[in-house]
Amino acid sequence: MEVMKIKIKIIGPFIYEAGFSEKELELEKPITAGQLLSLVNIQEQRPKIVTRNGKAISPKEELEDGDRIAICPIYSGG
Amino acid sequence: MNGWTGNLLRINLSTESVKKESFTEEFARTWIGGRGFALKILWDELKPGIDALGPENKLVVALGPIAGIPAPNTGKTVVAAKSPLTGGYGDGNLGTRVTVELRKAGYDGLIIEGQARSPVYLNIINDRVEILPAGEIWGKGTYETMSWLYKKYGKAAGILTIGQGGENKVLYAVIRSMEGRSGGRPGIGAVMGSKNLKAIVVKGTNDIPMADPLGMKKLGAEDLRKVGEIDKKTGWSVQGTTGVLSWCNEVAALPVRNMRKTSHQDAWRIDGERLNNARVATYGCPNCTMRCGITIHDHEGRESELDYENIGMLGSNLEIFDLPQVASLNYLCDDYGLDTISAGAVLGFYADAIDRGSIKGNFQFGDAERAKELLRMTAYREGAGDILAEGTMRMAQKIGQDSMDYAMQVKGLECSAYNCKFIPGMALAFATSPIGAHHKESWVIMFEITQTSRESYGPEKAQKVIELQRIRGGIFEFIVACRFPWIELGWDLQHYADYFNKITGMNWTLADLFKVSDRIYALMKFFWLREFPNWDRTRDYPPKAWFDPSNADKEGPIAGKILEWDKYEKLLDSFYDIRGWDKRGIPTKKTALGLGLAKEAAEVEKYAKLE
Repeated sequence: MEVMKIKIKIIGPFIYEAGFSEKELELEKPITAGQLLSLVNIQEQRPKIVTRNGKAISPKEELEDGDRIAICPIYSGG
Repeated sequence: MNGWTGNLLRINLSTESVKKESFTEEFARTWIGGRGFALKILWDELKPGIDALGPENKLVVALGPIAGIPAPNTGKTVVAAKSPLTGGYGDGNLGTRVTVELRKAGYDGLIIEGQARSPVYLNIINDRVEILPAGEIWGKGTYETMSWLYKKYGKAAGILTIGQGGENKVLYAVIRSMEGRSGGRPGIGAVMGSKNLKAIVVKGTNDIPMADPLGMKKLGAEDLRKVGEIDKKTGWSVQGTTGVLSWCNEVAALPVRNMRKTSHQDAWRIDGERLNNARVATYGCPNCTMRCGITIHDHEGRESELDYENIGMLGSNLEIFDLPQVASLNYLCDDYGLDTISAGAVLGFYADAIDRGSIKGNFQFGDAERAKELLRMTAYREGAGDILAEGTMRMAQKIGQDSMDYAMQVKGLECSAYNCKFIPGMALAFATSPIGAHHKESWVIMFEITQTSRESYGPEKAQKVIELQRIRGGIFEFIVACRFPWIELGWDLQHYADYFNKITGMNWTLADLFKVSDRIYALMKFFWLREFPNWDRTRDYPPKAWFDPSNADKEGPIAGKILEWDKYEKLLDSFYDIRGWDKRGIPTKKTALGLGLAKEAAEVEKYAKLE
């Protein structure tokens, strides 16, 4: 069983659903971005953007060791 | 005429004459209100080439049919004039009780002309208009001024005021209301100051005319409740706009160090989470269901109301990551009546120019105490503040060398807090904003990063910029309402067409409203062309720093990447093609005629030829 470390950053109101804003997680491979969302209590149906190392990814993409994953609601600008 | 009071109030401060003027149904249907009214009035009444800070300029306060009615987020007012900062058409909107009170007083707008001999303020109660001496409040900050006026007229009065920045004609002075609200980034506060007008106080006691007042009341109350519920469910107001800072930091779009950098390890210190934790109060505009004014105690213990643009431009852009200090800078801008975005850009540019040895001065990134002193000097135009009061474009013209390349502005107006070093669509949005680089017209950045390839310069980006301009810079600016329920909570745009029809008794579709948007955007461009007959497309270019290879990020998601000129030119061409504008970025005669602008096209052709 392969274990990897990822850094996760939660942004905006999602912080209060996840209960934290930033932490390092040890996860068993394989895991997709979508599975990570459930793991941190963010509802799948909420409109959101997930980025890996600053670039947008789909929920289907598998995460890699050392990734920085940010989860953010869809903002539309002040 | 249901939906409009049908009246404008014209006040000449030179002659102290006051005139209630009615407007035609055709004028109302063609320009609707807000930005549409203001633009058309300024187009018809201003001679090109006038001094924006002279008595010939006019300050227009304009409302729309939806403004002030009981429905979601309808507390906005448009303030407009020829801009002293850009020399073109300038406007802004702000939440204020003036919106409700002015409509109840029986007006859809004010036209303020001339120049008072000594400082005055206006007191409007229905048909009674007083021009009163402002000696006791002239020279005071906006907080003290509002407090003085509240004591005299009560807290329910609608009040617009300027601070020392407007009095001393800082070119990016704004108009302020309700402690935390500001509008008129392109120096509309300086225009008010140039007229020796310190404040406008309004009270009204009439009903706002509506085709179906009972139906609108019922619908408005239901929708206010629904929007409030959606906000609670999504939790948007918990951080309001300030959540955007962390996202910009993640995707390399944060303004850092005069936009030289796109992210910073200390950004978290001033982010939405920290702001929410420090919150002592929350403020909003009239009829608001999603109050976004997060208020904290600043370094000196004063209440300061912050949003994303404030923490982005006065925080990360200056590399100041101490939240109470950022709040202090914001408080000072608000009190002096300075635009926080331009103030942050100006200080960033100043620090950058000193850093590069282009100018001698005493300021460096991260120095909050000196930044406070510089804001004071700017508001009073003392010492170095006199040049800082001119905005980055004029500063660069004076400094020379290559400083214009890193003056982060378009058409003279400083860029809002989105670093577009490698975001072509958002750079286009800034560059084609009709008042200079403002985010309010088209915030395309999230679409661009989530739904397109960031690298793309394809026409889909130009199309989206225009789509957003039609809604944000169009519909919301002329029916006059806050765009937040639509953009942040997904409140369907059709609701606004429904409100419009219920109030006016008309039966318009969104497509009808979009046509008005296009008409307004075309006339705004004619306004610029009449002022600058040698207009060319270079005026629709983003700042050169975003194209400079030496300015590319060294690490992170956009390492080594910058905007590319040849691709940007193609993107700009796509934008012009979709809009029906020529290669200069000017509406063609055919486009103008299709939008009902035959008279305006003939007028502009006295100065420059149309294709």
